[in-house]
Amino acid sequence: MFRPPTHVAPASYMSFVLIWGLVALLPTAGLLLWSTLTMENFQIVWEPSLQAYRDVLSSGRWQVTIRTLEIAAIVTLIEILLAVPFALWLAKGTKSAGVRTVSLALLTIPFFLSLSSRTIVWRGVLGLNGPINAALLQLGIIQEPLDWLLFSQFSVILGLIGPYFPTMVFPLYLAFMLIDDEVLAASKDLGASPAFTFWNVIVPLGLPGLGAGIVFTFVPMIGDPVVPELLGGGNVVVLSASVQSLLRILNYTVASALSVLMLVILVAMISLVAAITARFAKGGL
Amino acid sequence: MSNRQPTINPIPHWSEKHGWRRLGAVTGFIALSFIFAPILWLVVMSVSEDPLSGFPGPFTLTYYGQLLEQTGWVDPLLNSVAIALGVAVVSMIASTLIGRAIPRIRRGQFTLTGVMLLPMMIPGVVIGTALFLYFRVGLDMKLGLWSLFLGHLIWAFPFSFLSVLIVALRFDVRLLDAAADLGSGPLERFWRVELPQLKDGIISGGLFAFLLSFNEIARSIYLRGKTETLPIYLWQQAASHSSHVPLIYPLNVLILIVSSALVALAFWVLFGRTKT
Repeated sequence: MFRPPTHVAPASYMSFVLIWGLVALLPTAGLLLWSTLTMENFQIVWEPSLQAYRDVLSSGRWQVTIRTLEIAAIVTLIEILLAVPFALWLAKGTKSAGVRTVSLALLTIPFFLSLSSRTIVWRGVLGLNGPINAALLQLGIIQEPLDWLLFSQFSVILGLIGPYFPTMVFPLYLAFMLIDDEVLAASKDLGASPAFTFWNVIVPLGLPGLGAGIVFTFVPMIGDPVVPELLGGGNVVVLSASVQSLLRILNYTVASALSVLMLVILVAMISLVAAITARFAKGGL
Repeated sequence: MSNRQPTINPIPHWSEKHGWRRLGAVTGFIALSFIFAPILWLVVMSVSEDPLSGFPGPFTLTYYGQLLEQTGWVDPLLNSVAIALGVAVVSMIASTLIGRAIPRIRRGQFTLTGVMLLPMMIPGVVIGTALFLYFRVGLDMKLGLWSLFLGHLIWAFPFSFLSVLIVALRFDVRLLDAAADLGSGPLERFWRVELPQLKDGIISGGLFAFLLSFNEIARSIYLRGKTETLPIYLWQQAASHSSHVPLIYPLNVLILIVSSALVALAFWVLFGRTKT
């Protein structure tokens, strides 16, 4: 049988797709099964029930989900406010290739350092005897050291800003780069103010980048156990810590139910982001 | 770029007239300070007497010396390097196989791409729990290096796949027809026509996979069994209040220096040589 030179043998890629299904997709789908089984005396009983979901509600563990989503949403919003002007400046504002290259390199370097060691240094800085409290005391602004600087939701949010900035900038930068300079010039020639151009040309064209940035920033933050534990110090319990404690006491069904719950929320959120992106990218705001 | 004749009144660059530029530079500076202030602080404190105090100085190299005596970090480091190398190699091979196929299959392109990219949308805690229950509880297997490798691969592969897919979509398959007309066989076509075109995407995908695996922690805590990776070791040290905590400061500085050198080398191999 004749095979054109551009033909790819299905076996070459389908074998990996099959493995992928068995080790990545099947376990994730399996969560749904685990969450609908019953636990009796630390044993899984093959009997379908919604007990695990009732436990999530009655034990108050759903609050962990809300808190995790809230922290991730606040940080994502901060990243958007910081990243949109910066990405726009990188893509369209500066004409110096050097500034651009150095900025992109600076955004890449943090990927090489472990998150825990970058996070632990905040402890010394924000602590009761740290430089910030010392400076505020010295200046007479406060009379006693601020105790909410560390081991609080504030410190967790502060600690998350740095590590999750690059994932927001890169997609936005790519999207802004793809906007043709001529389009912006045309908008200006037709008498649009810079603000009008921003909201009616740049934002709609940049939306796919914003959508990708939100997904790449928000989703990993949901699963991050490091910053909340090191800077929350047990006061800020997030999903990862909660699931870990459930697995430690062998409560597999509730751990699955919590995971499924988060997955459902994320799927809804991502679909919404995708739908908004698709709609406004066509019609403008 | 454009072929237009120069006009009498060249259109000024849109950003030249107003303050967007300054705003962008300022927010960028703020965000980059959030990233680099802790890293610089880490370097300064690694040569300070009491790294945990929050105040630098008096300066000493004591902790660098202690790294040689307390060698608990060596095994986790070797584990991490081994896993990351495995993940990088497998990601590169798999993303090449699938990335080159996607633009050329007739049906199911979107489904296949979606299925491959799906883990990007799943938080670490969810996939970690899923794999733990599937392999440890469901199949009753002993977790260890292999399950860490698998968890990291599921995390890193979509990124290297994207990297290859982007270059594969730009690859002109007619080159393969031309090569066939000129008499080269399937292997030669792949090796001498296709691979050189995909090379940059494959290498940067592998580099990215290595780094993602090397620093992975969200999935590792569920999949490690009794094995320790470097990020887990560092995390445990950081979270504990033991006297070994100061050692993670010099250790991280050394890792930063070595990995920056490796990446500089990789960038030079990728982009530096071809330009000249």
